[in-house]
Amino acid sequence: MSASTAPFKVRYRRSVGDPDLKPRLLDFQRSWRESRDAQVRRLEQRTERSFGELRRDFAAVKDSTLERLDDYIAEFRAQAEAAGATVIELSSAAEAVDYIAGVCKSRGIELVVKSKSMVSEEIELNHELERRGITAIETDLGEWLLQLAEERPSHLVMPAIHQKRQYVAEILGEELGREFDPDDIPAMVASARDGLRGHYLSAGAGLTGANALVAETGSIMVVTNEGNMRLATSLPDVHFVTAGIEKLIPTWADAERQLQLLPRSATAQTLSTYTTCITGAQPGKEMHIILLDNGRRAMRETGTIGDALRCIRCGACANVCPPYQIVGGHTFGHIYTGAIGLVNTSFHHGIEEAAGPQGLCVSCGACQTVCPVDIPLPKQILEVRHRAHESGHAPLWEQIALRLWAKPRLFRHLMGLAAVGSGIARLVGLVHRDHLRLPMPKRLRWRSVPALPLRSGQTLVKSRPPQRPWPNSPSTGQTVDLFAQCLADRLLPTAVDSAASLIEAGGASVNLPDSQHCCGLPAFDAGDWETARRMAKHTIEALEGSERQIVTPAPSCVISMQDHWPRLFDHDLEWRDRAAAVSERVHDLAEWLEGPGRLPNGCLSKGSRKAWTAHRFCQASNRNDAGARIDQLVERLTSESANPLQEPDVCCGFGGLTSLAAPEVGEGILERKLACVAESGCDTLITNNPGCVIHLRAGANASGASHQTLHYADFLAARLPKDP
Amino acid sequence: MITRDERSAVLAAGLEAAQGELLQCASWGDVWRYASSLTNETPTVSPAAYEHLQQGDLPDVNDPLRSIADRAVGITQAELAIAETGSVLLIEPSPRDRAVSLLTKHLIVAVSEGDIIEELADGFRWLARQPRAASYATFVTGPSRTADIERSLTIGVQGPSRLTVAVLA
Repeated sequence: MSASTAPFKVRYRRSVGDPDLKPRLLDFQRSWRESRDAQVRRLEQRTERSFGELRRDFAAVKDSTLERLDDYIAEFRAQAEAAGATVIELSSAAEAVDYIAGVCKSRGIELVVKSKSMVSEEIELNHELERRGITAIETDLGEWLLQLAEERPSHLVMPAIHQKRQYVAEILGEELGREFDPDDIPAMVASARDGLRGHYLSAGAGLTGANALVAETGSIMVVTNEGNMRLATSLPDVHFVTAGIEKLIPTWADAERQLQLLPRSATAQTLSTYTTCITGAQPGKEMHIILLDNGRRAMRETGTIGDALRCIRCGACANVCPPYQIVGGHTFGHIYTGAIGLVNTSFHHGIEEAAGPQGLCVSCGACQTVCPVDIPLPKQILEVRHRAHESGHAPLWEQIALRLWAKPRLFRHLMGLAAVGSGIARLVGLVHRDHLRLPMPKRLRWRSVPALPLRSGQTLVKSRPPQRPWPNSPSTGQTVDLFAQCLADRLLPTAVDSAASLIEAGGASVNLPDSQHCCGLPAFDAGDWETARRMAKHTIEALEGSERQIVTPAPSCVISMQDHWPRLFDHDLEWRDRAAAVSERVHDLAEWLEGPGRLPNGCLSKGSRKAWTAHRFCQASNRNDAGARIDQLVERLTSESANPLQEPDVCCGFGGLTSLAAPEVGEGILERKLACVAESGCDTLITNNPGCVIHLRAGANASGASHQTLHYADFLAARLPKDP
Repeated sequence: MITRDERSAVLAAGLEAAQGELLQCASWGDVWRYASSLTNETPTVSPAAYEHLQQGDLPDVNDPLRSIADRAVGITQAELAIAETGSVLLIEPSPRDRAVSLLTKHLIVAVSEGDIIEELADGFRWLARQPRAASYATFVTGPSRTADIERSLTIGVQGPSRLTVAVLA
């Protein structure tokens, strides 16, 4: 069994055990990001339109085409057939393989040369043809290397990105019977020309994919760089095209819109070397265009996931994905890789194949920010995760943990016990810098276990006099409900207390609604919507029945209430309305301090010389939430500049349950973050979501880093004047 | 709108970014002289270029691709050049039309200065009006390339490794 076809757990162990993969993919992601951003900036300048506008325009083209798909297929078919092609619509992988094999058999074709086609990967064509006695040879260099190594692509656009040059030299040497110097990449590339030329000349058929199917003329458009596609369609007498039905676009003008976005998003090129447009069969030759459904119409009928059919297979979602950087595409995906692979695999290859990698996604939302067709991938992944959970793919430990979490009193008691235990550990010297010194399994040693403080955040707030308000504060006279967040309340109680102080400094008084617990986010994230619903209802009951604004130091809970609650209750009108009545009153603390409870510029200036930097909670930042840029808030209030931090919006690796379910992923992403933090030269790292604080602090503790990690509320509240 | 001179300059910049090069020529004779200076062989020429040059090796009618595989220098003609992207548009309905641009190592593409258009969108508008041209049309942007081995950019894979756009005044 090769590295890419083994069961998920085996693939996972292999990828996290490969020491070269992480650094190589990190280097790739960073250089792609830089050149892609430069390309997008130039496009925005030239067109005088923003990336957001350009992608919305093209997404609208895709959406309207998908709505009238049958009409466009009919138009495409009529035009292509008038130009001499055969167009056939097939519903399954097996039918597509049978059709291609059938044509080959009847024409006596034994060899097919292939240009890159993801649909042919989707239907595992090479393998299936082989079983029927027909040889298929990949001619794209990367695909050819994969074929020689019996592997699958690990990236949509850079299929062999996981292969090391030494490995490439080895497999080429074996195939071509001569030695290759691994450091002489041009010589290895040149070998493709020699190694493949004979196949082109003797092949009976050439097979290509299509980046677009243009309905108005019945044409295919294919984007390539090597020149192999043109060879594969020029020498053999039969041309097969395998394409998903979602590749239809109405006109050439739409093709041009697609090309503005595709090469820039894929390889950061203005245009790929060859954009080839073919209409109909060439004189004396045959062209068979296979339009494949294989789950696509079912996808279209699925509200949330239907938008994934806009995908133009650029691979950008993988290029910004933090877990992808750690495990690569053989683990983060199935045959389709990256965020889109976590979504469409369940429709093309079944939920079994899709379930494994679901837990690797950290829900940071980076994928959607660069998607050239604005697919709501983060939302869709949560939906697929839910389906995987429903079909019995949730780990047992996770189910138990969530059931305990869902019971507020039990949770409180367990946390109380843990706090007492931590207190005893403190007494006997088992606590170092607020973390327990426990023997940990090797997989978990990269993150220390925090010792729980004895008093909860809510207790801290209740046991002190209120902070004096700033004179003429805008929220004077208001009372605000503080939603502490379950995690922060016990693990980061000072942040809850500091949040209350800052709200009070802004003029409002703070009320702590009784019996508040958890918004349901951990369960929602795990795909366990039933438990999430129970938790959400409990929180709604705790927070409803008042007109007061609600503020929380946890932006993740704001997102949970505003984005996830409507999904949990979309079939329950009563609860949907009750949820909305609560969530529309919820504010993230940073947004509150910039808005209704605004504190004046420079009011927390202390002339401190301590160097600080800010990690922005990725999810809020990628959604462009008000208040996500906490560095700006802190700079405004303290008049001190942050040290620059590389990749301030890239996830820290907490990712809710991901860092528990896939510790190596949490560790790898944290390493990337802590390296940036070290480079910033800061003494203090601040961030805005309690989960990030706890994770970053525990990771810094385990790695012996010298900086201190704080919730920005603690950083700011420490500067509040005692007597303003 | 940009002027004719500006279009040549933008085309040159686009070509440079795509590792191609631009050559100003007064006539087809200049193109031939340049091609001949690059090799001791007789340059190969596509049927479209032959109409202007009346010399050079044409691909064989029966076995066009094999007959010119890996020849050093080839000359063909583009319908249009796209300034914005540094591309040339080749209309090549038959394998014989395509042979030179597919298989010669250094490809020279001649295009009239008047056929340089501003944007890719204009190229597609042109294509939409010429259904027969679209039977096999390729926007070529620089020489062939790959980055499939450790992302190391290598110019010249299965197509030409050098591309010169000869702009005819």
